[in-house]
This record gives sequence, C-alpha cells and structure tokens, in this order.
Amino acid sequence: MVGALDDIRVLDLSEPLGHYAGYLLANLGADVVKLEPPHGDDSRSWAPFLPDLEEPESSLQFMLLNVGKRGMTLDIYSETGRKVFLQLLNEFDVLLQSWTPQQMESLGLDQDTVRGLFPNLINASVTGWGLDGPYASFAYSDIVSLAMAGVMNLSGFEEGPPTQLPDQQGFHCASINLAAGVVAAILERDASGIAQDVEVSMHESLLMAEETAMQSADIRGIDRERTGAAPGLQVIKLPGMGLYATQDGWVYAMAAGIAGSGFNGLLALMDLLNDSIADDLREEPYASVMAEFSNSAAVFRLLGDPERMNEVKETFAQVDELVTGFFQKYPKEELYVEGQKLRLLIGTVNGPQELSESEQLNDRDWFRTINDTGRGRELRYPGPPWQLKATPATLSRPAPLLGEHNEEVFRAIGLGKSEIMEMSESGVI
Amino acid sequence: MSNQFVKSRPLDGLKVCDATWYGAGPIATRALANLGADVIRIETEKRPDGLRIAQPKPDGEESLNQSGYYNNFNAEKRSITIDLTTERGQELGIELVKWADVFATNMTARAIRKIGMSWENVQAANPGIIGLYEPMQGMTGPHSEFQGFGALLSAICGVNYLAGNENEPPIGVGTNYTDYVINPIHAAVAVMAAVRHKRRTGEGQLIDMSQLESSVSGMAGALFAWDNGQISYERLGNRVPYAAPHGAYLANETGDRSDHWVAIACMTDFQWLTLSEVMEQPELANDPRFVTLRGRKENEDELDGIVGKWVNELKASDVMNKLQSASVPAGMVQKASEVLQDPHLAAREFYAYPEHVEAGKRAYDGPGFRLSETPHEIRGAAPLLGEHTWEICSDVLGMDGDEIGQLIAEQILY
Repeated sequence: MVGALDDIRVLDLSEPLGHYAGYLLANLGADVVKLEPPHGDDSRSWAPFLPDLEEPESSLQFMLLNVGKRGMTLDIYSETGRKVFLQLLNEFDVLLQSWTPQQMESLGLDQDTVRGLFPNLINASVTGWGLDGPYASFAYSDIVSLAMAGVMNLSGFEEGPPTQLPDQQGFHCASINLAAGVVAAILERDASGIAQDVEVSMHESLLMAEETAMQSADIRGIDRERTGAAPGLQVIKLPGMGLYATQDGWVYAMAAGIAGSGFNGLLALMDLLNDSIADDLREEPYASVMAEFSNSAAVFRLLGDPERMNEVKETFAQVDELVTGFFQKYPKEELYVEGQKLRLLIGTVNGPQELSESEQLNDRDWFRTINDTGRGRELRYPGPPWQLKATPATLSRPAPLLGEHNEEVFRAIGLGKSEIMEMSESGVI
Repeated sequence: MSNQFVKSRPLDGLKVCDATWYGAGPIATRALANLGADVIRIETEKRPDGLRIAQPKPDGEESLNQSGYYNNFNAEKRSITIDLTTERGQELGIELVKWADVFATNMTARAIRKIGMSWENVQAANPGIIGLYEPMQGMTGPHSEFQGFGALLSAICGVNYLAGNENEPPIGVGTNYTDYVINPIHAAVAVMAAVRHKRRTGEGQLIDMSQLESSVSGMAGALFAWDNGQISYERLGNRVPYAAPHGAYLANETGDRSDHWVAIACMTDFQWLTLSEVMEQPELANDPRFVTLRGRKENEDELDGIVGKWVNELKASDVMNKLQSASVPAGMVQKASEVLQDPHLAAREFYAYPEHVEAGKRAYDGPGFRLSETPHEIRGAAPLLGEHTWEICSDVLGMDGDEIGQLIAEQILY
C-alpha cells in the first residue's frame, strides 16, 4: 500500500488554477495524467525559469505543480482529438477540467453529456466563477478573485492600495477544495456506486479567508478595513502584538494575553536577556494596565468596549514603544527560539532562503530530491502538506516533459504506431 | 433530519471526536460535518474556544453563543462540555475516542498532554482510529512544541515575506490567513484519504500535519525557485513575473465610493490589446514598449500609469463590466458587505442562513466545493456551548440520568 488513492486514475486537463489539485491527488498515490494542448499548458511559459533550460521545459511553476504526474498532449477541440479523448476517459476514475460553460458547449461535453457517456466518472470542474450565475462567463485571474472575494480589501496599509496574497492563493485555495471534493466523491462512489460532479469556484473557495469580515458586516454592519501591520482582528494596537523590527530582520509577536505566556512571557524574555526594559514595564502606569489584560477573556472583552479602549490607548502606545525598542536590540532567531521556550507566541518573518535552511523542516526530512533526468538535474522539492503515517505516498516522478508519455498512454488504449504518428503529423498531439 | 427528501451525504455515519479550537482545526471538522459526519466538539466552560469569546457579536453582547467568528466555523456540530483537566473528565473523553472513527485536534502538544489526548492514549483506547494532529510545526522536530496562531504562522511560513511592497515592512495580509483554507482543507483531504484507507483495510492511522509544512506546500513557488535556481523573490506589491498590467487601480473617487479599487490582470498579449481597445487608446497596441510581456514588465511603471489614469476617470463597477464584456479579467475590490450582497453569489446561493437558537439567522460561508448528488451543504447552525451534553452522555456514552446529573453537580460536565 503506497497511498490511499493508489487505485485511482486521474486525467488532469485543468488550467493552472487546478494544477495543485492534481498534485495533491498524486501525493495520495493516484496515477495522475496531465493532458495538455499540443503547444503546452499556459504555465509552461510563466516565469520564473530554470536559467539554463529552454521553454517549454524550464518553467519552475510548471515543474512544482506537476511533479508526480505523467504528461500527454492532445487537441481535444479537433475531431480526432475529441474521439481519442472520449476513448481515454473510459480508463479514468476522475476528470479534472477548467471548462467554462461556453467551452463545454463548444466541446459538446456539458456535465449531463459527460455523465451519460461515463456514468462512473467523477467529473470535477474548477473555474474562476463556477458554472452558473451572472458572472459564470467572466474572465478570471488570481488577483481578480482575491479582489471580488473581499480578501484583498483586508490586506495592505490603511492608506495604501489593497494588496494581493503571495503565490496565487486563489489558485491554491481552489485546488485544495477541488482535491477535497474529489476525495469526498471517491468515498461516495466506493460506498454507494454513485459517481458525481464536483464543482469549485475559485471566488467561493476564498471566502472563508475573509476571517471575520463577513460576520462583522452581517452582525454589526461594520466593514473591516486594512490595518497595516497590526492584526486586523483588533481595533486597537495591543502592545506586543504584530510586526517588530529586530537587529537583523523582523519578528511577529502575539504577546497580548490571548494565549501562551502572554505579556508576562515577553517580560520573562527581557529578563532572560538581562534587559532593563522589563523593569520599566513593571512600573506604573504600565503594570496595572497590562495586568488587567493578561488573559484572553479580558482582551477579547476590551476589543468590544470602545470606551475602555479609549482610556487605555495612550498607555498601550507607551508600552508598545518600549517593546519596539527591546526587539530592535536582538537578533530575530534568538528572540524566536528563546521566546518560544518561554511559551511566548513569537515567530521570525522567514523568506525562501530561511525556509530552505529551516532546522525544523529539515529535521523532519520534509524536502525531497527528485532526479529529473529529462531536464538533466536533481531538483529539490517541498514535501507534502500532510504526513499520513500508514499511507505515505512518496512522489518520485519528475514533472512531465511536453507529451512525454503520449506513446504509452495511447498504446494503452489500443492505438497503433501509425495512428499515433498520424496524430502527431496533423498537430493533434 | 432523516426524511426521504433529504439527500444522503458522503460522510454520513462517520463519527468524529473533535478536540479542535480556533480556526485551522474547527474549519476542517466543519467540512466533515457539512459532508454528513457526526462531529462532536468537546469544549470546556473553564477555557472556552477563544473564538466563542471573540467578536463579532451584537452590541453589548457577551454570550459565548453569539460570536459570528465561532459560529461560522462550527456549523452542524454537536457540543459537549467536559472538564478534561479532571480524571473523570479524561475518562469520558476517552469514551468518545472509543466511539469515534476520527479524532481531531490542532492544539499544541502541551495542551494535548494536559487533556490526556496524546496519540499514544488515543490509539491505545481505539487502535483503529484515525488521529488528525495539526500542531503548528508538526509532532516531531526541535520546534514541535512551539505555538502560535495563523498570523504568527503567516510570518514563519513566508506569507509576510512575500506579500506587500519591497520597500515596506513585511506586514502580512491582515488576517490569520493560513487558518482558513490552506490548513483546514488540507487536513480535511488528509482525513478523508485516511477514511478511505480505513474502509478498505480496517487500519487507522496517525496524520501528523504540521501547519507549517501544509502552509509552505500551498505557497512554495518562491522556495522552489530559490532551491533550484537561486532565484530570490522579494515582495512585488500587486505585480507578478508572468503578467502585466497586473494590479489594483483606484477608481473615480467621486464616482461611487471614496476608495473603490479595481483589480485588472492581463495574462496574455491578446488581453492587453483588448484592454487598450476598451480604453480607447488603440495606439498602445503598436507602442513598442508594450508589445511583448517582457516590454510591459520593463516599462511597468508607465503601463500602470496609463491604466491607472483610465480607471481613475470611471466608476469601479463600470471598469469591471467594460473589461469583462471584452473578456479581460477585472473585478472590484469588494468590501465584506458587498461580498454578502454579491449578485453572483446570491444567484448561486452561496451563503447559508441556518436558524441558531440565540443568534438567530446569521450568514455562514457556504462550502468551498459542491457535489452534485450527495451534497456538501450546511444544514444547521453552530451548537450552543454544551448544547448536546445530556444527549451525548445518554445516547453515545450510554450513561443514565443519575450519573449525568452527578457529574454535572461535580462540574465535570456542564
């Protein structure tokens, strides 16, 4: 047993917003075949590129999200291609696709038609806006979904523009939901024999990420706005909460009394580093105010009490200034490790290099090396999002070269050499 | 709930003992509940889920049952209140573990030990169980005891480093971002995969889900580029390396609202040509600075100036509609109240409004994926704190009324 889905075959026609879903299913042991148009998937031309390789084999994004899949090309809009595609689908349990309603119509493959032709197929759709509703035919992109989902309105400085999230979070959230839908549908099919359609709208997949903004609007009639570096849930800057500059970078701290050792933990960290700022903070007027808000109930209550917030605002600002001065004097890693040992909620702001060298990730052997013979090198990949101890599917197959597995896929459905050659010459594959 | 007109769901009959709290755990088990699982949340009155205390609540309201934050993440679950810091309470917790197919928690290792729910204990009580453990950095390694919330993890996993502008501090994205989709829905996928394995073989298993690994997996582009090409990324604002123009532009300030922005993305040369036509500046199509993506990236400040000037003379909704009519990706930066009223979401009936005894009919986020035959949908509100204590003790744990009453008197149950 290598994976919980080791008997499942997935044909992945999705556009880039669905690539991570196929990757997740491959991580559960499914045999995922990426079907691309003959000129290649769009993301093969997306930067960044491996410096010494040519398109279409050099896009790092394509490699990252398609590792573990086999790859084939087929022009499903051509007559021959469509016929071969339908023949192929007989062999698969799951179809991942990103067709808009218009594309479905031009292919003659709306959901009902596909269901009629392939009663056992799980037909999983991931699109920008879903398959019905007034925006169903809208063009999509990651940033546009972040905007329309209200997530972007919360991100950025108060006075600045709304700011996107990193690395296509719309695509990722859509894909994760798509994978969840597919696995749920597989469970249903296992149990009852019912195969069904899965539908994901990237726009909808992001809405949970509005945090409390939706409920604030619904319950209190208040729209949450951007708050810069202060945690957006808070309507007041709590001392020790948020982003702080250190000697050599940034830390994010949550030293208000909501969890862990809270503000006392921060004082303990100051003591540990023999910093006299702790002594100042133990004096009035700071001490009694900070003591009052040393537990989560008090803090949360404060956040609903504008009057009390107004009273303590100035003291909070003075305390926060002292805290800011403290963090500036020390290296971030020391603040992080020593602080966490004292159960202070604190973390370093890590970039890619720090993550690559992370003691924690490396101690858990999270990264994996894949020998990509087609691209002539070993590549270091991030590990899976989970560790399933009894079914640890491990990816070893590199991302496919364009059309790499055409021959084996077509032969498996009984096409002969001459038919494959013909498709190749006429540009169908 | 069982009547012939109600459709069955994929996880009907699955039993989940839920010792999660805050976001990344409860949202995972909510997905299971909305797929039909019977999810029992163990809570305590001594130390309630922080989200029960948190805003938003109606003005002046302090009830632990009125938080929209908590309620949204716990639709359709049952709630039992047990004091798991007592010996008898822990025994009852373990009885629920014996009942369950899945045990779920996102507490830190320390908190888990305190309530007697370590994997060793859970597995010993129920060898076939699936254990979802979702601590911030996993169950092993030098940082396995470290703790935090989503906003803190967002710093550690790279969100902050990559979001925002290069010359400004890494402020993050204003929320506990990783708590809401990446971590909980990854966890739901992992649990369902383990359920499949259990149904096929009878074998349960441990899912050691480091929220750090899960989060990095869901945004690994910059890390992968660094590891394999020594390409280093900085914060890019609203730009991306593979498209231009790509950003948020301020609409006419007096048009419809004082600060309405529009996101526009041209992913292809053709979309750029179309944009220049919609802007009624067809001469841009032949402007050598902008013909190729490379040119547009090299002259992006000028490009953004041109697009920004055009947007700034129009209402945000007009910009969106004009561009979308021409198939150029564009959308307003909506505020939450606008999202709630979004005509597209309304037509798709995204939001659910289940009746809650105390809070009334409030909006709940709909499911992140839909199933055509055995639906993923919200059929009930969040539980009141301890709402189902009596029925769970009686129906699930088989206790009689005297015993339940006695434990309530001893404040082991509430």
